Amino acid sequence: MDLTGQTILVTGASSGIGRETARLCSQLGARVVLVGRNQERLAETLRSLDGEGHRAEMFDLSSADEIPRWLKSISASSGPLHGLVHSAGIHRLRPVRVLGSRTVEDVMRINVGAAIGLARGFCQRGVGAAGGSIVFLSSVTGLVGQAGIAAYAASKGAIVALTRALAVELAPERIRVNCVAPGVVTTPLWQGVLEMLTPEQGAALEAMHLLGLGSARDVSYAIAFLIAGTARWITGAVLVVDGGYTAH
Amino acid sequence: MTSEADLLQENVVQEKEFLSLLDELLELEQGALKGSATLESIEGWNSLAVISFMALVDERFGVSVQPRQIAKCTTVADLVGLLGDRIGAEVRA
Repeated sequence: MDLTGQTILVTGASSGIGRETARLCSQLGARVVLVGRNQERLAETLRSLDGEGHRAEMFDLSSADEIPRWLKSISASSGPLHGLVHSAGIHRLRPVRVLGSRTVEDVMRINVGAAIGLARGFCQRGVGAAGGSIVFLSSVTGLVGQAGIAAYAASKGAIVALTRALAVELAPERIRVNCVAPGVVTTPLWQGVLEMLTPEQGAALEAMHLLGLGSARDVSYAIAFLIAGTARWITGAVLVVDGGYTAH
Repeated sequence: MTSEADLLQENVVQEKEFLSLLDELLELEQGALKGSATLESIEGWNSLAVISFMALVDERFGVSVQPRQIAKCTTVADLVGLLGDRIGAEVRA
């Protein structure tokens, strides 16, 4: 996997999988555009990258219609983007009986709406480089059921369908679109969920992962693989990275 | 200036609102739940109900309750007690 000379944009780069993916891309030779909402944490990610030429961009992805213009301005100064990773996302533990439309909209706006906005922006002339690659983050919960997370699961299932639809639509332009479906990964997002569970519930969820819980680095390898030329012949795919969660 | 009596009245109103929220969550008749009711005796008080309860009190009262705090509660009054200070604090501020 070699990303030398490539520019990769990563959302959700302030923490977790996004941060680790940005780091790995930099280690593989890429120039990385880090996107997030927390300036301090973005700066921390920036400091941890290998090589030079990286930049951090504060942007609120909830305004999906603003994304294309913003991406155009990014590529105007950084040059075309060879890859785009949408790792920003929110998780809400809300059993259906207390799942209101506001929570649904919030989750869908960032997890799916922003993904569509980013794809739309990437397609613009001069933004996505020829042979560019987009990677979205789905989840095992978008593939198999789990109680209490209907909105989050719906958003991650939507990402799977979105990945396939865009893969077909953008193949003539040689833009590949794939997604990664992680199991439970020990990140700040997971820590937030864990606080809502009893120790027994957390342990039960962990036990369903045959190889234990994963790390952000585990998922970043899969993302980098799909972004790089190693996945030249892969599009519309869902790469499950889950320690065996969906194997049984 | 709000009087002590006004503050106490506000407290009672908010406790009623809290019990009403529980009735709603568990699909009981409004006013069905009494403080002395044991959680064990309430049909539908299961792990999903606990998560729903945590989400609702966060949303409606801005209070973050941990599962281990709920695990220590045996009655509805104990649950109210988890928010007791917060309900009072809102009007004392």
